[in-house]
Amino acid sequence: MNGVRQGWLVARREMRERSRSRAFQASVLLMIVGVVAVLILPAMLKPDSTRDIGITGPAPAALTATIAQQARAADITASIHPYASLAAGEQAVRQGQVDVLVAGAGRLEWRGKPDEQLKSMVTGAIQLASVRERAAAAGISPGSLATLLAPVPVTSVELGSVAGRGPGDEMAVLVMTIVLFFGISVFGQMVLTGVLEEKASRVVEVLLARIPARALLAGKIAGIGLLGLAQIGVTALAALVAVASVDSIDVPAVRGPVLAWALVWFVLGYTLYATVYGALGSLGSRVEDAQSVAGPVMVVMAVAYFASFVTVGKPDSTAAKVLSYFPLTAPMAMPGRIAMGATAWWEPVVAAGLTLAAIAGLVTLAGRVYTRAILHSGPALSLRDVWRGSAASGRGVSAAGARETAPPPQPAGVTAGERTTMTGSDTARHRWLITVLTGTGVIIGVAIAILTADVIIGVAAGAGFIAVANQMARLWTRHTGPPVAHR
Amino acid sequence: MLGFDGVTKRFGPVTALDRCTFAVRPGRLTGFLGPNGAGKTTAMRAVFGLVELDQGTVRWRGGPVGPADRARFGYMPEERGLYPRMRVRDQLVYLGQLCGRAPLDVTRSVDAWLERLGLTGRAADRLDALSHGNQQRVQLIAALVNEPDLLVLDEPFSGLDPIAMSVMGELLAGLAAEGTTVLFSSHQLDLVQDLCQDVVIIEHGQIVLAGELAELRAKVPQRFIDIRYRGPAPDWSRLTRAAVVEAADGVARLRVGPDTDIAAVLTAVGERADLISFSYQPPTLSELFRQAVAA
Repeated sequence: MNGVRQGWLVARREMRERSRSRAFQASVLLMIVGVVAVLILPAMLKPDSTRDIGITGPAPAALTATIAQQARAADITASIHPYASLAAGEQAVRQGQVDVLVAGAGRLEWRGKPDEQLKSMVTGAIQLASVRERAAAAGISPGSLATLLAPVPVTSVELGSVAGRGPGDEMAVLVMTIVLFFGISVFGQMVLTGVLEEKASRVVEVLLARIPARALLAGKIAGIGLLGLAQIGVTALAALVAVASVDSIDVPAVRGPVLAWALVWFVLGYTLYATVYGALGSLGSRVEDAQSVAGPVMVVMAVAYFASFVTVGKPDSTAAKVLSYFPLTAPMAMPGRIAMGATAWWEPVVAAGLTLAAIAGLVTLAGRVYTRAILHSGPALSLRDVWRGSAASGRGVSAAGARETAPPPQPAGVTAGERTTMTGSDTARHRWLITVLTGTGVIIGVAIAILTADVIIGVAAGAGFIAVANQMARLWTRHTGPPVAHR
Repeated sequence: MLGFDGVTKRFGPVTALDRCTFAVRPGRLTGFLGPNGAGKTTAMRAVFGLVELDQGTVRWRGGPVGPADRARFGYMPEERGLYPRMRVRDQLVYLGQLCGRAPLDVTRSVDAWLERLGLTGRAADRLDALSHGNQQRVQLIAALVNEPDLLVLDEPFSGLDPIAMSVMGELLAGLAAEGTTVLFSSHQLDLVQDLCQDVVIIEHGQIVLAGELAELRAKVPQRFIDIRYRGPAPDWSRLTRAAVVEAADGVARLRVGPDTDIAAVLTAVGERADLISFSYQPPTLSELFRQAVAA
């Protein structure tokens, strides 16, 4: 029985048991409903696009036909309503039955501010109809008039901030970065709590009597990761179907290599952070210890997340390049640079190699921490305890008795956030933390909105950050009842 | 045959196991005794590689214990624990598969054990829906799902009611009779004396006594005489080579040497009272244990 097969059994159990839980099923369903709603609702709620145009008073004979023709050219659905008197026409404008009243082919009447697009369309139509009428009066044949008035085609292009990529691409990159951050942190956290649950329920000793610690940790990471990929895949599929059914949304051309790389970076980023989360999870003893042992990782992830936004606006800047190579930020920064076409083919390969090397190093370190800490019971360990090996597995086991239950060394101020007990001032500090996180989220949202000149993206990024940060902070402060007496 | 060969484990300044050497024979029940903190759990964990040893080796059938051997071991840790939210049968099948057994074999074993311990009706329930006693049974099955050659149980009798205790005792005796090597720790010395053929006593990380229980008892020079009588108390001071361990109305326990004249004891009793019963025994396991640990 080799470790790989055992790891696969562990992974399979994770997938089966987790996908069976009501909470997980509800979260998947909620995610799909939410994403589909966000994509479809704006299109469904969009006001009626038919423009109503009223006409009254003397006008060139061909005006109605010309307006219809111009509207078609401008891709506007127009409906034309003639009114017998000016008063009837104005009444219709005031009641909102028509958007604009063409009074005597010389004046446009609006209820409020003129709609510029409609105004230029109708004005153009009036000019054209008048010119045709005058030309006919001057004896110019319709044929030569058409030649005279043949329009010179003028097109508009949205350049965005990077050559070869449009604003649609930028938005897609932002969405992708947000999804990567959410995915990596949510599923990384699942590894953390999973490790702690096994430790708290003591099942871990039964398991470790049968399989090596590394197989258990690796299997857990793989199982949760595959489940996460499946969840993201299903949600993405639902999103694609939703987008396809609503043709009014502009989908930036999805490029295969970009998607493939995003997938690769999700796997790399998740593996990197989940390994760290798993190792830190083994330091705690109870599920409530989760946030106190994992706090530093959350901060690192949050910073990596903000930093990755630099790459969207300026994918060629030095900062963006550095971030996309540094293993802790690469999973969130590199996909954006790839999508913005700012990388040579070898750049993501080198960055992935660096991240893989970092993962290999972390797996070794995490395996050592996990193996040593996983059978420890009692107060949460600090990394230093584990490192020095004084708290090696077996210490503090109550059966092994009085002589072994001396509390593990807990030097003051060893590693930030390793304490397990919660005092009143801690609670106050966490409330303060939530306020700061929310404020930071707002600032980030505003900054991104200004940077990208897009309110929606700013709100999405800010709200995404606040949601994740607050969830983490809530987990952090979660403690049921008074601290359990340490053994 | 499980063998501890000079096994030493230190936790910082504390030596949990100090050059432990003893053997656990197949087909017999071996009781592992010692005061709290003597090193029993650490020794049991060492069998499963859960502690990194500083010195010595744990051997199985002559060679150092490896992963392939452990796949044929069963373990019930003192800190009981399984997945609370996982269904009983799924959980047991999973644990069996981790030992490398084919799913079909595991399923067959699990169903047989569930049936034998009266849990068939609860197989599809989540573990946390079961009573404490039933959870204990599931925990025992978890140690048995791979039909182990070696079974190591840390305090299997703690927290059991008298009926569950006798069921557990019969079960362990049955497994031993089928050839399984069984090592279990306990503080219930009377129970161990009734159940086990072999004992190992550990104190401060050192093995102070190990071997066949009957032999160990016989080897001790003291013998004990239990007397029940009717009438006034005999004059024990007349007996020169006997010490009174316990004397109450109608009952007495005397400690005597191997060369004590039993007839003299009987005469002393008969002078004043009527003898009801008389027994001449080696020390009980309790007495053996107290002596060994006090030494």
